[in-house]
Amino acid sequence: MGRSQEQGQGQGPIHSIRLSTVGAARPTETGTTHEPTGLDLAMKLHYLKAAYIYSPETARDLTVRHMKDSMFMLFDQIAWTTGRFSRRDSGRPYIKCNDSGTRFVEGQCNLTVEEWLSQPDRSVDEFLVYHQPIGPELAISPLIYVQLTRFKCGGLGLGLSWANIIGDSFSLFYAFNFWTKAITGETIHAPPPSRGDRRFQSPNPTVKDPVSVKQVDPVGDLWVTPNNKKMATYCFNLSVADQISPHFPVNGINSIPVFEIIAGIIWKCVAKVRAEPEPVTVTIIKKDPNDLKPNNAIRNSQVISSVQVDFPVAEATVEELVRSMGEAKDERFGIEEIGGSCDGNLDFVVYGAKLTFVDLSGEDLYEARVMGKSPDSVYCNVEGVGEEGLVVVYAAAKSEERGVTVTLPEGEMEMVKLEFKKCGLIAP
Amino acid sequence: MPQAPMPELTSSVKLKYVKLGYQYLVNHFLSFLLIPIMAIGAVELLRMGPEEILNVWNSLEFDLVQVLCTSFFVIFISTVYFMSKPRTIYLVDYSCYKPPVTCRVPFATFMEHSRLILKDKPKSVEFQMRILERSGLGEETSLPPAIHYIPPTPTMDAARSEAQLVIFTAMDDLFKKTGLKPKDVDILIVNCSLFSPTPSLSAMVINKYKLRSNIKSVNLSGMGCSAGLISVDLARDLLQVHPNSNAIIVSTEIITPNYYQGNERAMLLPNCLFRMGAAAILMSNRRSDRWRAKYKLSHLVRTHRGADDKSFYCVYEQEDKEGHVGINLSKDLMAIAGEALKANITTIGPLVLPASEQLLFLLSLIGRKIFNPKLKPYIPDFKLAFEHFCIHAGGRAVIDELQKNLQLSGEHVEASRMTLHRFGNTSSSSLWYELSYIESKGRMRRGDRVWQIAFGSGFKCNSAVWKCNRTIKTPKDGPWSDCIDRYPVFIPEVVKL
Repeated sequence: MGRSQEQGQGQGPIHSIRLSTVGAARPTETGTTHEPTGLDLAMKLHYLKAAYIYSPETARDLTVRHMKDSMFMLFDQIAWTTGRFSRRDSGRPYIKCNDSGTRFVEGQCNLTVEEWLSQPDRSVDEFLVYHQPIGPELAISPLIYVQLTRFKCGGLGLGLSWANIIGDSFSLFYAFNFWTKAITGETIHAPPPSRGDRRFQSPNPTVKDPVSVKQVDPVGDLWVTPNNKKMATYCFNLSVADQISPHFPVNGINSIPVFEIIAGIIWKCVAKVRAEPEPVTVTIIKKDPNDLKPNNAIRNSQVISSVQVDFPVAEATVEELVRSMGEAKDERFGIEEIGGSCDGNLDFVVYGAKLTFVDLSGEDLYEARVMGKSPDSVYCNVEGVGEEGLVVVYAAAKSEERGVTVTLPEGEMEMVKLEFKKCGLIAP
Repeated sequence: MPQAPMPELTSSVKLKYVKLGYQYLVNHFLSFLLIPIMAIGAVELLRMGPEEILNVWNSLEFDLVQVLCTSFFVIFISTVYFMSKPRTIYLVDYSCYKPPVTCRVPFATFMEHSRLILKDKPKSVEFQMRILERSGLGEETSLPPAIHYIPPTPTMDAARSEAQLVIFTAMDDLFKKTGLKPKDVDILIVNCSLFSPTPSLSAMVINKYKLRSNIKSVNLSGMGCSAGLISVDLARDLLQVHPNSNAIIVSTEIITPNYYQGNERAMLLPNCLFRMGAAAILMSNRRSDRWRAKYKLSHLVRTHRGADDKSFYCVYEQEDKEGHVGINLSKDLMAIAGEALKANITTIGPLVLPASEQLLFLLSLIGRKIFNPKLKPYIPDFKLAFEHFCIHAGGRAVIDELQKNLQLSGEHVEASRMTLHRFGNTSSSSLWYELSYIESKGRMRRGDRVWQIAFGSGFKCNSAVWKCNRTIKTPKDGPWSDCIDRYPVFIPEVVKL
């Protein structure tokens, strides 16, 4: 069963919620600010979410105090993310680096990790991620929320809700991995925080009027995507061999573009449900292969490209769709220009402006080891998705599987799931 | 016009030399008297010549009995003198608690929590912000973990944890520094004003360190920020009675159970200023400690103004309309503090001031009483009596007021201001952070005199005068070790939040 996206989760099966604040150990110099780029500003209505679940053997002896102390080490490296937004006289948002801190949420769950993981729709992991949007008062809205959920058996759920304006999913994973290393007590050779140019290297600086970004009605200081339809989330696991390969002619097992195939199949399913108008344009978001991490590790450098086809999608083959995805056009330059226009006073939606597919499968999420042990499960999603919908594909516990989180309007979800069952993506 | 300032300059220089001359004359008056007497004696001796001196010597009849009686008399008088002299009380060493960086509370975090907790009372939030802007605190002061929650979770367990954390850390450090074994502690005094569980905090210390069963332990509670010096006074009295003993004093204030949860403005003030801190001090009367002790206690003067109603009620713990307990600070606090200080100075002045200042004060007193009541009272120059001043870092207003009243320079109050900036108001332990600042700056030389002044609820003003026993090398550890190079900092009148 899908679950509706709601603001301010943490209720449901999680109880005894306690809020506190963690921050950076060293004081930031007064007057320090951080200026978001145009691309950052275009992403401001979106929030990235990730939930990692660790088994009781790994996490039973970890105290809340230790987890909090380790966070201080993380935020010493990225102290600017503990600041708060403010607006210049022109209205352009910027971050005041005043060490306000990050909200740390503690919760308890009456289920064991096993019981929790036995639920087929993995979107229950939304309960492990405390989320509040930025606003209506910018000065007291944290940019990051961390939730620590203690399961009945002693296992731990760590959820991160991260405002996309500060960085992309890859930045989130980088920060989380840093934190797990600090928890484990490893000596971290942190790169000196670089305040240099945070722009991406774009090989294609000619795209104007990007279609992957859509301007929305002004939202003022409450940074929530204004949707007319209520969105629902559904999450499931796929096995590459059983469910992906049959859809694609095999040229050699290692060379099948798994993400593109999954995207193609789901695109077809959505097109069958959403007949008028058919989604002939989609957005593909991937990691930038030229990205030079770890310097400037926290920023928006993901490649946002657009794919347009001129044939009806519902009747096309997966092969054709995969081929057209290869011709995706990188639109970041255009988004950067638009996002920064009018002094950042306009509001945009990128995820869900068109049907969006995010490829996180290159990231080994299970490398986030605590005390040497990988998490039992990882969940990824985005909050504040536009009405066209979002599909996030990421690595699962087993290397031959993938996790898929689908966010679509409530009205379409059941029918799309039926299509999935027809394709064999989910069990009937 | 170059002519006008020149006469002023020369006249002020002349005045300075006149003052110096006067001070030397009065302070060494007896020496000046002795010189002519010795001169006359020497002239007389020279005049008499050696044979006459021998004749005078032989004419004295020395009876054995007389000689013996005289010698016994002299020995008896000197024994009585040495036995009745109070023992010298040494401060061997002390240790201040340095809070972990994970307890740090930046201004922005404090204000954000305040806005979230008091979301229905914007005026109270505004008030707290104005206090914080002008408080003189910095961005590195610390609050205990329980207060970092929204809303704070002040359980008794959390309070005990804070007490254990601060007290045990300070004591571990003190034991390490001094090499003292827990079994050798003879007297233990713990003072913590607002947290008094059963069993007491002193019992908690005895339990943790397995101190002796015949230890003399005292737990002082409810005595406010001046309780640190009250403990020193008590230790001094006990060390007079018990020979060859040492005493450990633990001064702290536990913030967790006392964080005001209501929204009455006068009672929100302590939340903005009070921060986590503790100090452990080792005092001794053993002769063997006189080489390694840092300070000798010269004087300790306690003044209590509780007999006056206004003074008694000016720092008052009470419930607000909604039943939340907090400390109400009256608006006359500064005036009352000034009066308490005056009363204290009247007692300590004669003990520490050089004769020149006392004479001037006496003359000015006579002048005011007899001749002209409108004459401005002469404020003795305490800078002549002390090299260093440790004024309780109760708040910026207290330090400003005392600086004005005692006519101290910026450098004299630097220790107090910087302690307020780095650690906040840590109540009874703040005097020890200030002393540590002076040592960390390398300013403490042998023979230097230090004046510690503490104010507290009641209303009390207590002073302690210490004399430095040996030049103190800059400590390698201690609460200031990682940040002393950044100090002194300029603290603006109002910090823009």
